[in-house]
Amino acid sequence: MKTSKSNSWICLAAAVTVAVAFSGRLAAQSAAVKPSGGSSGSGAQWSVQVERIDPGDLGLAHSFQVAIYENLLEELNKTNRFTYVVREGDSKASEIPDLLILKTTVVKYTPGSETQRAVTTVSGSTKLTVESQLLTRDGKILLERTVNGNVRFFGSNLRATHNLARNIAKMIKQSKWPESERLARYSPVNSDCGRHTSPGF
Amino acid sequence: MYRLFVLRNVKSGCFGGHAVISLWALLLCCGIGASAQSTAPALKANPPFSIRATHLMGLPNTKGNCKGTLSTQDKVLRFQQNGKPVAQVDIASVRHVFLGEEGMQVGGVPMKIGKAAAPYGGGRVISLFAHKKYDTLTLEYVDSDGGFHGAIFQLEKGQGELVRNELVARGVSSSPGEDQLTNQSISEVTHEDK
Repeated sequence: MKTSKSNSWICLAAAVTVAVAFSGRLAAQSAAVKPSGGSSGSGAQWSVQVERIDPGDLGLAHSFQVAIYENLLEELNKTNRFTYVVREGDSKASEIPDLLILKTTVVKYTPGSETQRAVTTVSGSTKLTVESQLLTRDGKILLERTVNGNVRFFGSNLRATHNLARNIAKMIKQSKWPESERLARYSPVNSDCGRHTSPGF
Repeated sequence: MYRLFVLRNVKSGCFGGHAVISLWALLLCCGIGASAQSTAPALKANPPFSIRATHLMGLPNTKGNCKGTLSTQDKVLRFQQNGKPVAQVDIASVRHVFLGEEGMQVGGVPMKIGKAAAPYGGGRVISLFAHKKYDTLTLEYVDSDGGFHGAIFQLEKGQGELVRNELVARGVSSSPGEDQLTNQSISEVTHEDK
């Protein structure tokens, strides 16, 4: 009687141990599958590859181009809208199934001055205007917007790139586009579908 | 009998002498070869280089706007903050290096608060004089997967060129369109001076 009772206790302990071990393993697996905390909702299954900034013919300083690019990667990661956010040239991008490409072209740039801003308050703002396009691999434009990023009062000139990247990420987060499986049926009326100019921030 | 013994003894002594000499020569040759090998890279390697810099953004596992020491050692560009792990980039992976110039207000947040608190617009007058020009060094490099990265450093005026020259000496390609950048920097400066 005593022996059977102790055996049942041992069995129960073993079952609990196995259950705990399995639950831990499952949690670890699910964490590994979910790389950038992709949220539910439209576009959650998409990934995005950020291309380098096209300065156009405005001669934007290289530090600004790099700053926009790096800030964009950071801000897009924060949105949790994409499964993966990858850099241009990343060899892993070819293995990602539903990949969008973010192209950013500078269309307007007004160089400012921090000193002028500090002295006059009303002048010397640094202004950046870019055209952002989200494209599929085969070149279909899913989203096209003109976005501004300015620094008017406080902060260095490079702060404009941070504001710009934040505005682009915000615009992408708020926009809707078809999910990957419905894209085959998606046929925009014209390439300007979804184009609008965001208000200046 | 004795003679034979003596002869054998002399022969073995001579053979031992030869062996010692040849062993000594072999060791000498090996030693010379080894020393030549060890000195060859020492002559080739550039001396280590380090400079104070502010990391604005772009290096892996490093916060933005933090001060530290930017150095090159062997084939690696390092950024070391006090008491923090070193962030490093393989110099071979650096594709381009660009030099720029930026005018900034000095003093940070305390200075800003002070200027805001100064009566009769005194803060604006302080702002007129409390600015400084810095060099910005922009690096474009690729990671092990081929992904494009950019890093920006802020250095004291004149020191950016030293770092750029150091990197160019270590094989980094010179930046295309730098003249354009220089022109723009000048236009920015004149804009600032207005």
